[in-house]
Amino acid sequence: MFKKNLFTVVTMVLLAALVLAGCGKSNEGASSKNNDTKKEEVNLYTSRHYEVDDKIFADFTKETGIKVNLIKGKEDELIERLTREGKATKGDLFFTSDAGRLHWAKDKDLLQSVESETLNKNIPDNLRDKDNQWFGLTKRARVIVYDQKKVDKSELSTYEALTEDKWKGKVLIRSSENIYNQSLVSSFISLNGKDEAKKWAEGIVKNMARDPQGGDKDQAKGIAAGEGDVAIMNSYYFGQMLNSEDPEEVKVAKQLSVFFPNQETTGTHINISGIGVTKHAKNKENAIKLMEYLSSPKVQEVFAEANYEYPVNKEVEPSELLKSWGPFKEQDLNLSELGENNADAVKIMNEVSWK
Amino acid sequence: MRSQFNSWALLSVIFSILILLPALLIMVQLFAESNENWEHIKEYMLKNYIVNSVTLVSFTGLFTVLIGVSAAWLVSAYKVPMHRFFKWGLILPLAIPPYIGAYTYHGILNYTGVIQTSLRNQFGIKVDQKFFDIMNIPGAVFIFTMFLYPYVYIITKSFLENQSSSLIENARLLGKGSFMTFIQVVLPVSRAAIVGGVSLVILEVFNDYGVVKYFGIQTFSTAIFQAWFGMGDIYSAIKLAGTLMFIVVLILILEKVIRGRKQYSYSTSKVRPLQPKELKGWKKFAVLSFFLSLFALAFAIPFIQLLHWVYMTYDVILSAAFADLIWNSVFVAAVGSLLIIMVALIIANFSRLSKGWTGKFFSKITVLGYSIPGAVIAIGVLTLFLFLDQKVISLYEWLGLEPTLVLSLSISMLIFAYVVRFLAVGFNSIESGFDKVGTVFTEASRTLGMSVTKTFFKVDIKMIKGAIAGGFILVFVDILKELPLTLILQPFNFYTLATKTFQYASDERIHEASVSSMVIICISALSIFFLHRVLEKEPK
Repeated sequence: MFKKNLFTVVTMVLLAALVLAGCGKSNEGASSKNNDTKKEEVNLYTSRHYEVDDKIFADFTKETGIKVNLIKGKEDELIERLTREGKATKGDLFFTSDAGRLHWAKDKDLLQSVESETLNKNIPDNLRDKDNQWFGLTKRARVIVYDQKKVDKSELSTYEALTEDKWKGKVLIRSSENIYNQSLVSSFISLNGKDEAKKWAEGIVKNMARDPQGGDKDQAKGIAAGEGDVAIMNSYYFGQMLNSEDPEEVKVAKQLSVFFPNQETTGTHINISGIGVTKHAKNKENAIKLMEYLSSPKVQEVFAEANYEYPVNKEVEPSELLKSWGPFKEQDLNLSELGENNADAVKIMNEVSWK
Repeated sequence: MRSQFNSWALLSVIFSILILLPALLIMVQLFAESNENWEHIKEYMLKNYIVNSVTLVSFTGLFTVLIGVSAAWLVSAYKVPMHRFFKWGLILPLAIPPYIGAYTYHGILNYTGVIQTSLRNQFGIKVDQKFFDIMNIPGAVFIFTMFLYPYVYIITKSFLENQSSSLIENARLLGKGSFMTFIQVVLPVSRAAIVGGVSLVILEVFNDYGVVKYFGIQTFSTAIFQAWFGMGDIYSAIKLAGTLMFIVVLILILEKVIRGRKQYSYSTSKVRPLQPKELKGWKKFAVLSFFLSLFALAFAIPFIQLLHWVYMTYDVILSAAFADLIWNSVFVAAVGSLLIIMVALIIANFSRLSKGWTGKFFSKITVLGYSIPGAVIAIGVLTLFLFLDQKVISLYEWLGLEPTLVLSLSISMLIFAYVVRFLAVGFNSIESGFDKVGTVFTEASRTLGMSVTKTFFKVDIKMIKGAIAGGFILVFVDILKELPLTLILQPFNFYTLATKTFQYASDERIHEASVSSMVIICISALSIFFLHRVLEKEPK
């Protein structure tokens, strides 16, 4: 008798554990399902993970009563998840920090068009999708930083110039696996064609001070350590370093300066954080409300101040720090192209052995 | 008697299938026609991936064996000051996930790290960065060795302490010196334990994504992510995962061959534990400094660095939400480990008692989950649950309820994925527990008329209590540290300490990542301390 019970006991326990586990955290979902008065909420898939975002969402809830639920993850994994969930997804919004990935989401038919005068007014044309499937919310520039003592500003001009022999063994940049570098090469494919883009990547690999390693901040530290003279990095990481709680990082940053390349030619490469409503959003109205809120001057100011990103809303000024680096000319590119060229960019980087 | 055995078989089959399903869903796509991307990968990348992965695995394997086995031997055979502490202190590095170890060591060694900063500020010395560069293959081998050697150490140590006393004492009686005893007796007899430990290390290295990504080393796991996400080509990613699985299966077969049919189980209950000898003179000093430096490098130094960063950032990070993080992590880890131990017990018991090939077959299959990268398992599990959900949705619609994703949005999906991924860890522990006690007691009980199931509860389970507790704790710690799978499958508003740590680190905010890192390490360390206590108390 005992033996027969084993099967039952084990099965029951396993089931109970699964059910308990399921209930434990899905209470909220269950209650909203059964109540007639549907709880006001909006579900967000985001690859951004800054305290400032959480704070902004909390303010939004306070003002509107709409609860913001989050799934945070890496952008690619979130896209994969949205694809798999299809019609049944609970996600209403997709928020990520790369235009290429936003374009991918659109390409995979995960997003939908949104008509909103507020958004059209707040966000410039080139920073949003032409079918209004996604909208840029913050900007960051991929700049050159250099050692003030070793490099004179006049020696710097363009990204392309960094491939000249003069910079052999002096350029620091992170690995090809990094999305910001992929988007940078994608932008060159758009602007100059595949062959030129490949030539550039080849030249950079030839001039690298060391095998790519670490993040953007590590490139800046590489300069300070004397491994190289110039580095390509994102503006907002440099901002973070200047305001770091670690005095040594501040020292490093103070040793360096920011240079906006290609001012006479194609402009400095920029990327955005942007957001779009998912194709099968169940809370579309709330989703649009949240997007409009995020593009409003008040919130744009918070973004700009807390994260050293550039606001997209023209009414809002960049933070004092960013202003001190001066205005600059941006790449004139429809940012969708970054996504269109991404696979080619990755291949080019592999072909030239960009690690 | 046949029929009751069948319920064990049936359960084993059901669990094996459940666990295999996600992998199968991935595998069917493995045979899809190769496309342009795959050709590109083959032409430019594959060789590099193989060379790097194999280099990392070989050297890490070699060093973990060297360090793990010699530490295990010295701890079990000799007594030095703080002996009792080292016995479990040397397991502690297991509490530090390699990716956190990598963040921390890079933090210590880089230009703004404590070493170079002190040299610059206090002594005015600016050193060549080359000597402090850890973000390369040798650096990764160092990180993996430091934080994974405990796998070899634990298994070898418990084998030596409990199983080898008569052999070693005989060798001593015959006048062999300690070195020769080690080479001629200890190494050969503990071969199975060593191979068991090092195969865990190897699988961990193959699966690692955090360290290699941070250091910019191209391996199979970075390649899988690159193909899947960089090129948007899941098929090539799956082919890469398949290739990796092939290599891993080869290794597992090799392990079986090396282990041979040797099962060092004692058929008498009179196994005496090994009595450690007191060491004197320079030998005592040498062994003590080996233990001290190992403990410092693999635990104390990174721990102190993290403590310093915690001090810098705790006021920003600590909040009510942080308590949720801790609760979430502990909750999923506990439920996951419990399930794994139950499933592992059933399959292991079935596999050891079945004479034919079926039992062995199931036992090998369930271990495969560990060889598949976490991210790939996550996608397999997601596919499975979405499929089930579609079925449930039709049921819901038929009942007139609002369609919703019950399964794939709940935490049960995440826990199921943990079971698939980590069953091997629990299973290995329980299997080796069974190996150790052998089947004589079971057979005796059966001869006396007890059923398989009754014997299982009355005899078997009691004999391997230590292995069960040990398996539970190892799985618990593994889940607590797990990263890629949790990132992909976490439900809305549900984060764990590991995902939070990764988020900070990938945003290059290592200092902020320290608080959650610290909590992971402390909970794991506590668990490991209990593991040690359990193993100590285990009947010898």
